[in-house]
Amino acid sequence: MNEINPDFSAVLGTPDGEADQAASERSSESNFVEIFLAELERLKRIIAGMGLSASDGEDVLQDVSIQAVKRTGKYLTKGDSIRWLIKVTVNRCLMEHRRRRSFRRLASEILKRRSETKTGSTTAENKAIVAEELEIMRKTLQELDGSLLTPMVLRYFCDLNSSQVGEILSLSPSTVRSRLREARMILAKRLVERGIEL
Amino acid sequence: MASSCKEIERMLVDYADGRLSAGKSSKVAAHLAKCEDCRRILAALQRSLELASVIWEDGLAEIEAIRIPIPKKERRFQWTKYAAVAAGILLVLVSSIVWRTFFRPAKKEPTFAEIERKISESGSAARLLAAAELLAEYPDAETIVRQQYRYIVETYPDTPAAGEAKLRIK
Repeated sequence: MNEINPDFSAVLGTPDGEADQAASERSSESNFVEIFLAELERLKRIIAGMGLSASDGEDVLQDVSIQAVKRTGKYLTKGDSIRWLIKVTVNRCLMEHRRRRSFRRLASEILKRRSETKTGSTTAENKAIVAEELEIMRKTLQELDGSLLTPMVLRYFCDLNSSQVGEILSLSPSTVRSRLREARMILAKRLVERGIEL
Repeated sequence: MASSCKEIERMLVDYADGRLSAGKSSKVAAHLAKCEDCRRILAALQRSLELASVIWEDGLAEIEAIRIPIPKKERRFQWTKYAAVAAGILLVLVSSIVWRTFFRPAKKEPTFAEIERKISESGSAARLLAAAELLAEYPDAETIVRQQYRYIVETYPDTPAAGEAKLRIK
């Protein structure tokens, strides 16, 4: 679904594998700015996953970069530094998520930008179905509580496993899994209500 | 015993993610084979994740363009560093003054006996030089005179008379 920053994988592990603790321990004093720049793509994924607009996302990244600069020189392992950056970004996104409406880009706009959608639909009827489904999903994501949306974004859009998501959100892996199940079911049932083709 | 839809529903997300054990997975598969409602939910689970990904990717395309200028951390004036350098310089200066004042070995002063000896040697050398110059007026005494000059140079080398004697020899 997406490409994983090799540094991040080395430190936090891949979704299907265990975290490479040794790599985390190898690092010493963190240069948060360097880590911030290395992790920028991942932070952008979180912002996009949380449904923030480009201008709100820019504000979030500015804030996080300032916090990273202030924190440079603090003694943390690389893994801890990355987790801290993700946590700060997630918290800032949640603030924006609560304050303003997220996922403001309409399904029609999304489809317009994507001349060829991943669904591979070609006929006008199919396009209409995709547009309708996308709109349902957009609204559902918009309404989804931050406590359910965040684990979903980190798990399915940032490719972290339940343990890593739990570490970042200060939750147990079982709580993360139960929230993922709840969030996925909410999204799925909205589509079922609309009527899904088998 | 047939599994209830409620029971299966709890496992469907993990089933869709491929994270169920083989036993549970086959149980779910068996139920799905005969339950259209659960199949519909499974399809919706997969479809909803695809659609969410489309929305997320679309947002990412917009966010990707953001460029963040990294603010530089303000460097504080490191007065401690400069104070340490200044203190070092001051320490070297004070040590140097103290050493010069208290520990520098005193210049060796000549003793009275040495002064007396030097005066005596200079006088002797001058007298011998004067005698040699008187003898030099006699042509037959040239050899003796030269020996006398050499004696002055060798015996009283640090005296003014020895310098004169060297010139006479040349």
